[in-house]
Amino acid sequence: MKRLLATAAIAALLAGGSTVQAEELVLGEIHPITGPASFYGLVMSQTLKMNAEQANAAGGIDIGGKKYQISIDTGDDQAQATKGVAAFRKLLADNVHFVIGPLASAVAPAIKPVIDARPDVLQIIDGSIADGVVNGKNSFRVQADADTYNDAAIDYLKSKGIKSSAILTDRGHQGFRMSEQRMMKSLKNAGVNIAAQEYFQMGDTDFSAQITKLAASQSEALILRGYPGEGALITKQAQQLGYKGQIVWEMGAPPSTVMKNIPATQMDGVVNCIPRMMADYIRLNVPNAIKVADAFHARYGKDAGENAAFSNDAFWILTTAMQKAGGVEPGKVAAVLKDLKVTDVPNLIIQYKPQENGLLFKNGQAHPPSACQIWHGENWASLPGDHLDLTTKN
Amino acid sequence: MIELLPQQLVNGLALGSSYALIALGLTLVFGVLQIPNFPHGELYMLGASFTYVLVGYGVNFWLAVPIASLGVVLVGILLDQVGYRRIDRGGNLSLMIAALAMSTVLQQVATLLWGAEPHTTRTPFTGILRTPYFSIGIYQIVIFAAALLCWLFVWLVLHRSRLGLAIRAMAQNRTAALLMGIELTWVRIATFAIGALIGGIAGSLLGAAFPIYPTMGLNPVLKAFVILVIGGVGNLWGAIVGGFLLGILEILVAGYISSQLQDIGTFAILVVVLIIRPNGLFGRAEVLR
Repeated sequence: MKRLLATAAIAALLAGGSTVQAEELVLGEIHPITGPASFYGLVMSQTLKMNAEQANAAGGIDIGGKKYQISIDTGDDQAQATKGVAAFRKLLADNVHFVIGPLASAVAPAIKPVIDARPDVLQIIDGSIADGVVNGKNSFRVQADADTYNDAAIDYLKSKGIKSSAILTDRGHQGFRMSEQRMMKSLKNAGVNIAAQEYFQMGDTDFSAQITKLAASQSEALILRGYPGEGALITKQAQQLGYKGQIVWEMGAPPSTVMKNIPATQMDGVVNCIPRMMADYIRLNVPNAIKVADAFHARYGKDAGENAAFSNDAFWILTTAMQKAGGVEPGKVAAVLKDLKVTDVPNLIIQYKPQENGLLFKNGQAHPPSACQIWHGENWASLPGDHLDLTTKN
Repeated sequence: MIELLPQQLVNGLALGSSYALIALGLTLVFGVLQIPNFPHGELYMLGASFTYVLVGYGVNFWLAVPIASLGVVLVGILLDQVGYRRIDRGGNLSLMIAALAMSTVLQQVATLLWGAEPHTTRTPFTGILRTPYFSIGIYQIVIFAAALLCWLFVWLVLHRSRLGLAIRAMAQNRTAALLMGIELTWVRIATFAIGALIGGIAGSLLGAAFPIYPTMGLNPVLKAFVILVIGGVGNLWGAIVGGFLLGILEILVAGYISSQLQDIGTFAILVVVLIIRPNGLFGRAEVLR
């Protein structure tokens, strides 16, 4: 027995001495992996895992002369505040200090107090558009804020000379609810009369009461603010109930998700005004977008979803900041993030508008550009004259 | 606003028919066996998912509906035999915990089989009936008719067959029914089979109108329990009337008060009915001697 133990000990020593073990760096993520918003969250999670696999396959990420193998610790928030807080606390219990997410605007405000109280944790939000969730100290956001969504829709109404609009909002969507008053003000300033305003809730399947009222208002446009599952059902029911105006969405809406809820022909002419997303960058031939889309397809056998671009960018922004900080101490990494320039980060898909001095973040918020697309056939298509300026390394 | 009333009432009937269809199967199981069958929502989900799979394999939708519903019947019977029968004497708390556990298990199995992402079976009818007063989708009329046909089917089984007589006897007084030689095992299998069949039909039909995902049954089953209280537990007509009533009420609250109060309307009526008629609109008070 003693001989066996001695042999094992020597073998272990030899094994330890013969290779340089890379350290493990755990990045946490909070996304809806199950539930009605999983079509967003699953792809975001898969993008992060794919990026980690690619980095690990290349020998790991070199931070301060040390190679780190990245692993992703996933928290499933099901796009619900209570589950998000529980998932976040579980990540903290796992001793995770870097978190990417959440997606859901209901979740980000719920975990904010915990983030604020934990300077040893650094968060990059890749989905939520809720107000006040970014502090620029230890929480940053690569997703746009709600105003970017609203302004894109208002600009579209202005460009088409539309003078009245009805609005239907997901009442559980913190980002849209919080920005409501600002949107009303912007609409009035743009000379657009708000003909009617109604609400629904994620998971609802019947919107007939609201649509009947909105249709009676005879507004020239109907702005839908929420998620695409409900957006598609509302669009279908609006046509059924005889609504004749222009339907304008404000939601990340992968065509595959849209067509699961509405026949493609019923979507013709619907306009979606949002920050540019994955499919947009692929359509506009951004090299990093095409590279990630190809890798994603090879890895998972399906197309990368709309929000993959945000998660991809959050991963590379975070790891680049760690490399520049020369360590994995959250405070130092956060300090680097504040001074990070748009052109500093490799592999970015989103063509962020540079802030003053070319910085990526201002008060913790990055600025992805927005645009409107129109549904044509079985996909979103660019509106005539749409163009994009490359601002990042591609 | 009053000119919108015909349309809002039709909207309410359309919504109510989907509620009634789901509540019908639940009220039968609850009324006869006193089991709070929370997994009825998952049976509804399985009906939708089975139909989705069958249609995906090229089976005609109208053929897929009965096949999927029969599949759900098997799951329903299995649910009873594995989950409830052995703890039947364990008390209401045990049954409730078992029901919640099976609900979760079925959701997880569905997630493993079909993933968490929502999907939809293509609606077989996309036509719209337009009149000067209201518009309604043809498929909504089909669902409305299905709710009434399912009610008629269950009523005929309960009131025009020996099996129905046994089920009603068991619902009225289990001990007396057993003393009369009624076989409990077959009554509960039949009750679960009929309840699951209706749940399966509801899922098959409504899955062509709404997104299908593993947790899609949670909200409808909660509404179905509200309908049970409104209509009276175990009362078929109560399930139908309660479903329509709830649908119309929700629509009127959203249409005439505020769409932010739609769900509050649901639970307000629940409280009102509990105060005024604790046994439901069609339920009968029991006298204990």
